[in-house]
Amino acid sequence: MDIGLQEQNIPSVNITSLKEAPIHISNKIQPHGIILVLAEPDLKILQVSNNTLNVFGISPENTVQKRLEDLVDPYQLERIKSGLSKQNLDFINPTKIWIRQKGDDYTLFDAVFHRNSEGFLIIELEPAISQKNIPFLSFYHLAGASINRLESTKNLQEFYQIIVQEVQKVTDFDRVMLYKFDDDGHGYIIAEEKIADLETYLGLHYPESDIPKPARKLFIENSIRLIPDANFEPVEIFPVNNPVTDRPVDLTKSSLRSAANCHVEYLHNMGVGASLTISLIKDQKLWGLIACHHQTPKYVSYELRKACEFLGRVMFSEISAKEETEDYDYRMNLTYIQTLLVEYMSQEDNFIDGLVKNQPNLLDLTSAKGAAVCFGESYTLIGETPKQEDLNFLVEWLRNNVNGEVFYTDSLPSLYPDSISIKNIASGLLAIPIAQRNYVLWFRPEVIQTVNWGGDPNQAFELNQSQGNLRLSPRKSFELWKETVRLTSLPWRFVEIKAALELRKAIVNIVLRQADELAQLAHDLERSNAELKKFAYVASHDLQEPINQVANYVQLLEMRYEAELDEDAKEFINYVVEGVSLMQTLIDDVLAYSKVDTQAITFQATEVESSLERALSNLRNRISETKTIITHDSLPTVMADGTQLMQLFLNLVGNAIKFRSNEPPQIHIGAERLEYEWLFSVRDNGIGIDPQFSDRIFIIFQRLHTRDEYPGTGMGLAICKKIIECHRGRIWVESQLAQGATFYFTIPVGGRERERRNGRNTENNLFS
Amino acid sequence: MSVETEEIQKIIFLVEDNKADIRLIQEALKTSSLPHQVVTVRDGIDAMAYLRQEGEYADALRPDLILLDLNLPRKDGREVLAEIKADPKLKRIPVVVLTTSKNEDDIYNSYDLHVNCYITKSRNLTQLFQIVKGIEQFWFSTATLPSE
Repeated sequence: MDIGLQEQNIPSVNITSLKEAPIHISNKIQPHGIILVLAEPDLKILQVSNNTLNVFGISPENTVQKRLEDLVDPYQLERIKSGLSKQNLDFINPTKIWIRQKGDDYTLFDAVFHRNSEGFLIIELEPAISQKNIPFLSFYHLAGASINRLESTKNLQEFYQIIVQEVQKVTDFDRVMLYKFDDDGHGYIIAEEKIADLETYLGLHYPESDIPKPARKLFIENSIRLIPDANFEPVEIFPVNNPVTDRPVDLTKSSLRSAANCHVEYLHNMGVGASLTISLIKDQKLWGLIACHHQTPKYVSYELRKACEFLGRVMFSEISAKEETEDYDYRMNLTYIQTLLVEYMSQEDNFIDGLVKNQPNLLDLTSAKGAAVCFGESYTLIGETPKQEDLNFLVEWLRNNVNGEVFYTDSLPSLYPDSISIKNIASGLLAIPIAQRNYVLWFRPEVIQTVNWGGDPNQAFELNQSQGNLRLSPRKSFELWKETVRLTSLPWRFVEIKAALELRKAIVNIVLRQADELAQLAHDLERSNAELKKFAYVASHDLQEPINQVANYVQLLEMRYEAELDEDAKEFINYVVEGVSLMQTLIDDVLAYSKVDTQAITFQATEVESSLERALSNLRNRISETKTIITHDSLPTVMADGTQLMQLFLNLVGNAIKFRSNEPPQIHIGAERLEYEWLFSVRDNGIGIDPQFSDRIFIIFQRLHTRDEYPGTGMGLAICKKIIECHRGRIWVESQLAQGATFYFTIPVGGRERERRNGRNTENNLFS
Repeated sequence: MSVETEEIQKIIFLVEDNKADIRLIQEALKTSSLPHQVVTVRDGIDAMAYLRQEGEYADALRPDLILLDLNLPRKDGREVLAEIKADPKLKRIPVVVLTTSKNEDDIYNSYDLHVNCYITKSRNLTQLFQIVKGIEQFWFSTATLPSE
């Protein structure tokens, strides 16, 4: 499907000069018409095509001496001058002109006027076939009938077909094709109407080099192009250089302009005798072409050409509308899905759930077969996706190689060869990064496609060497050349990519909002924690005074009036004293509990043994009273709060003594290094705990015994638990009734979230 | 009060808002054999007025020992302590903070403000009596104080 120059990279040959030939500044025209280059306003003829002698009977040398008035009669001249005074020359195109050849022998021409980029008036004269202009009405009927057919058609493919049928009907070419350019510049035949004995080109693809960029640019400038005889002998312009500018005249908009050698050769190789090409332009870009081929030379009058162009444009605007409607419906559906996803996301605590848990979900947004949300170090998968280890590598690859708000490919293996192993799932990838290092990914499987080329695209042209000159010439074979395309998925459509980008925006907003809310929540929590702590502290203090008062005065009463009190009174006073004493212990414990607080903990390298020693020294009276034997392993240094650790041992060892059996207590403190933490144990030979209570004992105020049996507030283990939790460790008990108990607790090797602590410490150092 | 006893009577200035505590300390002091007089005020403003002999306290006697609670209405014990220790005329009077607070901040702050000693009130009556007696004993018999 060559319409212009060839381009292809051939090693060691610089073809730039060949492909950059300025084909619009051609000194030659096709021989079926005459060109006149005139200066306005006196309409002096500056240049003329070299074929005037045959047509007018005047040599070109003589013609350039003349003015237009020497060629046409005054009546026609007036008409032309009046037309030229209008801004838009289309209104006078074409104008029938009679030019006297000799004597009374006149020749009738269709004259087409335009002004070129240099400001010269160009008149192109083509011998008129019909004596009359085609009346507007017949033109209207022609287009009207075609458009009526289109209106009753729903399907785009039928649309395409009708266009080629209608153009074929009007022009009577052997073959009329609708040729569409793909995004990468190559083109293919989407509709064809032809006489029976020609081989079909329908569905064939043609490489980008068949219609290179300069040729495409010309198609935009010159929306209709006729080569009535592919075997034409080009006619030169006389003189070659314009006498005013001293260079060849610009014939870009000329319809008689000669074709590039290469193109003519291409037509020959294809067996084409005449061609007519109509450009289909959308948004200033060449969408495609209506290409008409005839096996033998064939002339098409200016009016008919214009009619075809009109038909093409009208029908094409219908195509565009239809395409847009089809796109629009899909786009509307995606927008609807996207709206739902945003709604789901905002309803869920974790936005990812909103993307995968409902119908429709992430897959529907881009018509993907699989999707993955990589957030933090975790993956949420839906549909057919690569395995997590493959995803890890893929995400790493994306992080290193891809920037921007979106990345998409329909052939991931060609960019990232490691993905060949997952081609059945992920030949197509659409990815949007969310914040740093997080992605939403969509996958499409490999679709093996066969592309039919009109000739081998790898040999689209040959390089000929003749008389020491390098010359490109097009391929001679247009035989079907099948290419199997592998490692490729269905392409991602623009609307799908757009939908992904829109989703990205929504996710970023939601993530930001959730982070805000989280920060707010943390802030609220911190405040309410601080308030609670303050409350517990103040309450305990304020409670102490009245309770002390009660205690003191009851004692004073007892002391001073001992002689006067009877036994009952003394017993009652005893109960008051006991109650008050318990109340005082409770207050102390609540105070201690409220003091155990993440914020208040100072993490430093702490020798566990010294904390233990401090606890034991507090307990020394009870230890000696009960003849307790305490042993311990060699104890490590950990990142912890030494005072809290002391309190922990105080409670655990104190409990072990308190809940002793009839035997003298034996307590062993053990330590074992695990991978990320230290495991400590406090083992005793006491009364043990029924395993069913092993969780309950750590709950605040929970007791397993009456106070008569064992005194206490039920706070001790709750405090222990809080201390360990503040260190990001765990605490639990293993025990059977009457078989002793072992309390275990862990402390992380690195201390709790050192990073965060360090941040805080830095801050503290700044202000302290 | 006779003149003779007045001369050797020590003035103990008790700053305490709780009546029950006042009474308890008085009871404890009653068991002491040292001649003394207890003067009581119930808040920080009155305490400073007394010490500076202002207004109704123009004839106030200079105390030999101040027992100071920390949590007081109007002006709290910490401020009172700070003002006493900043006042050249008052700073040599021994001040004993006697409080229920075991708060470390309170302890540190008080010593930073040059308290002479910080004592936590015992919950046990017998102990409390011993403490009060001990205070009196220490400051009036053991310690040598400047005579002002």
